[in-house]
Amino acid sequence: MGDKPIWEQIGSSFVQHYYQLFDTDRTQLGAIYIDASCLTWEGQQFQGKAAIVEKLSSLPFTKIAHNITAQDHQPTPDSCILSMVVGQLKADDDQILGFHQTFLLRSYSSSWVCTNEVFRLALHNL
Amino acid sequence: MAEKPVWEQIGTSFVQHYYLQFDTNRANLADIYTDSSCLTWEGQGFQGKAAIMGKLSSLPFKTIEHSITAQDHQPTPDSCVLSMVVGQLKADEDPVMGFHQMFLLKNIDNKWVCTNDVFRLALHNFGQ
Repeated sequence: MGDKPIWEQIGSSFVQHYYQLFDTDRTQLGAIYIDASCLTWEGQQFQGKAAIVEKLSSLPFTKIAHNITAQDHQPTPDSCILSMVVGQLKADDDQILGFHQTFLLRSYSSSWVCTNEVFRLALHNL
Repeated sequence: MAEKPVWEQIGTSFVQHYYLQFDTNRANLADIYTDSSCLTWEGQGFQGKAAIMGKLSSLPFKTIEHSITAQDHQPTPDSCVLSMVVGQLKADEDPVMGFHQMFLLKNIDNKWVCTNDVFRLALHNFGQ
């Protein structure tokens, strides 16, 4: 772990925490967002912690499990961390679907918060 | 077009330009990167315009075609634009594959450049 650049440590840690919370109790995700956070979920936009947590809490499944295939982390010029995740998920008894998610993390009052998040299922037209 | 937020216009324009250049002559992509740009291509990191262009130019296919399924754009607190693309691509005679890419765009000297670029094929360990 000492070999990994700091942004990779922070990004990996965040990603692990995010999906763990998401899969067990996503109403707890509030702490990672602030009022300036933006979420785009399957093309729909949500602005601010309250709207984001409401959207995530109201997603229509009882059980959800994410499986991360790959994650990449990069430092940005403004000292933020960009994390991209590719994986698969299973909601209730639905079929397994591929997903793609991106997070922009910023240090805010000594913790890392998510200012930007984009989620898409990997559903193609063809 | 006037109804779309400016970050969506910038992001959409960039994405269109990027894939057009990529599919026709990817050496033309040099302009969009700077010396502090980072690219992560299938898990490998490249820092700076020269290294990035070295990687993109050396990709081992003759023909490449991207088809964008969806793209999303957001403004960031630092006045950058975050763009995420999900799509499919076909290289030479290989089977069509899904891909995921994201770009962080910054306005430097009145021009939008890409400071961060991450690309992954949608290849999972199990199932599809």
